[in-house]
Amino acid sequence: MTTDLRENRLKARIKDIADFYHHKGRMPSFSEIGEMAGIKSKNAVYKLVNKLEKLKVLERDDRGRLIPGSIASSVKILGTVEAGFPSPAEEELSDALSLDDLLVKNPQATFLLKVSGYSMSEAGILPGDMVLVDKGQSPKSGDIVIAEVDGEWTMKYLDKGKEGVTLIPANPKFKPIKPQKELKIAGVVTAVVRKYK
Amino acid sequence: MTQPLTISSWPQAILHLDADAFFASCEQAVHPELKGKPVITGKERGIVSAASYEAKARGVKRAMRLFEVKKVCPDAVIVPSDYETYSLFSVRMFEILRRFSPDVEEYSIDEAFVDITGLRRSFHTSYGTIAKRMQEEVEKELGITVSIGVSLTKVLAKIGSKHKKPNGLTLISGRDIHLYLKTLPVEKIWGIGPNTSAFLGKFGIKTALEFALKDEGFVKKHLSKPYQEIWHELNGRSIYPVVCESKSSYQSISKAKTFTPPSRDKEFIFAQLSKNLENACIKARRYKLAAARLIVFLRTQDFRDSGIEVKLNRPTAYPAYLFQALKEGFNNAFEPANLYRQTGVVLSGLVPDAEIQYALFDDNSKIEKMANIYTTIDLLSEKFGKYTVHHAASLASKVQAQHEGARGDVPQRVAELFKGENKRQHLGLPVLHIKV
Repeated sequence: MTTDLRENRLKARIKDIADFYHHKGRMPSFSEIGEMAGIKSKNAVYKLVNKLEKLKVLERDDRGRLIPGSIASSVKILGTVEAGFPSPAEEELSDALSLDDLLVKNPQATFLLKVSGYSMSEAGILPGDMVLVDKGQSPKSGDIVIAEVDGEWTMKYLDKGKEGVTLIPANPKFKPIKPQKELKIAGVVTAVVRKYK
Repeated sequence: MTQPLTISSWPQAILHLDADAFFASCEQAVHPELKGKPVITGKERGIVSAASYEAKARGVKRAMRLFEVKKVCPDAVIVPSDYETYSLFSVRMFEILRRFSPDVEEYSIDEAFVDITGLRRSFHTSYGTIAKRMQEEVEKELGITVSIGVSLTKVLAKIGSKHKKPNGLTLISGRDIHLYLKTLPVEKIWGIGPNTSAFLGKFGIKTALEFALKDEGFVKKHLSKPYQEIWHELNGRSIYPVVCESKSSYQSISKAKTFTPPSRDKEFIFAQLSKNLENACIKARRYKLAAARLIVFLRTQDFRDSGIEVKLNRPTAYPAYLFQALKEGFNNAFEPANLYRQTGVVLSGLVPDAEIQYALFDDNSKIEKMANIYTTIDLLSEKFGKYTVHHAASLASKVQAQHEGARGDVPQRVAELFKGENKRQHLGLPVLHIKV
């Protein structure tokens, strides 16, 4: 248990030093290491540095200055490579896209909305579904938009035709809407999420 | 020195952004039907946390009690605070600012300083236009308005953002500084309090300009360093840098919660206190801090406070070690005759937990065991939501609702969950409450 704690602490310190190096482009001084690690005594920092040198985390040049060791490698280290069958999994996964990345293109401008009506049911959007709405995009013809028409909110296809803008439902039971006075578009629907279980 | 406040170039360009009636604006952004209406947040507290500009125009002020609000503005829409949504908006606002400059200081939930020095070249436009674009992007993507001041220093930028609100944009260039300081009372300057302004009044200094025009000898002789710095900043010489690291250190951590109806049930009130303590400790542990002092306070129905400060023999962030102190403080402050409405704790004297000195007779193995217990609790919270495991002393605060009656309304975000969300864990995106 104690060794666990110690090991974690050492790992955290190595990470701090590595972050410092990648951030500032230089190695920290002894007093900066002390500050990051919460060690006041110079001697204790010296001991820590010796330990890290043994672990090849950092090295010292001939004048005693710190130079980065293993923390400097900007080349991505693959998993241990064994002779025989290659295991492509790790290399393949390094570029994996999360569902978040896939669904949320502009994270600052994307909002959730719970659907309550049937007007877009033929487009596969049903009551209870969650749609993602991007407020940052400029709406184009054919986009599904959330819009306020003459004081009423609705979700429809946007159609910018020659004789003005029309909002078209996907469900034939609903009628297309032509804004009489005012049309405000709150955002463009970029995805629909339906969770079954 | 007839007109000393004249600097013709922009050695620095500091921008201060202040969101307009932030909490109320967030509510209007996710509830579009509230746009243009007087909106007030803070229903669960019984007092105004934030009021929209429509409500302010009707005479609603911050911290006003809600029954008074109903008198001056009967059609006000009063909603419970939805801090989760406000935090999401805040984070997004700062991210939008970072599209323009990496030097963004998150000054508070709704305020930021941005250093935009030198960006005219990369954006091929003036500082004023950069600020305008920021304002427009925030409004387009978040649906809230912000007021911006741009000037040579933080103090001047802050004067700018206050100059015109809401949705204001004020550029105070070096040659115009005196115009903005001329009518500004000295106590309206950022960092100058009532005492200092009264002191300056003794020398006949009433406006910011009169202060800025004093010579350095006067300032050095009569004022301490912080005010000398403000004096430099007013003169367009930047002293305060924009600090862009995210907040990682705290002077103190406080947690306080109101409950309704008010109670005199000793066990329930202590449970409230205990929950606040657990909360404060969770935050302290998150920032790897430990507290050397604990302040316990109780607030009665008629807003009288009683508080006790307890010193600890060793800094800690583990509630188990703090209960003794909490109990003592509570027993000292609690009077059975009183009706209480709020409890709170403050952890102060914070030190990094790596620096704790153990006392000679501390049982180290026991302390390590405790560390393991709380590390596990924190892991469980991360996985299953906060309060998955909590102290039995807090139980009474869990079985009884925090607010009964109308104040018990929870934000719509919490009341209407998506499949897969639970009471504590929600998707990290704000929800538009529009019926379509």
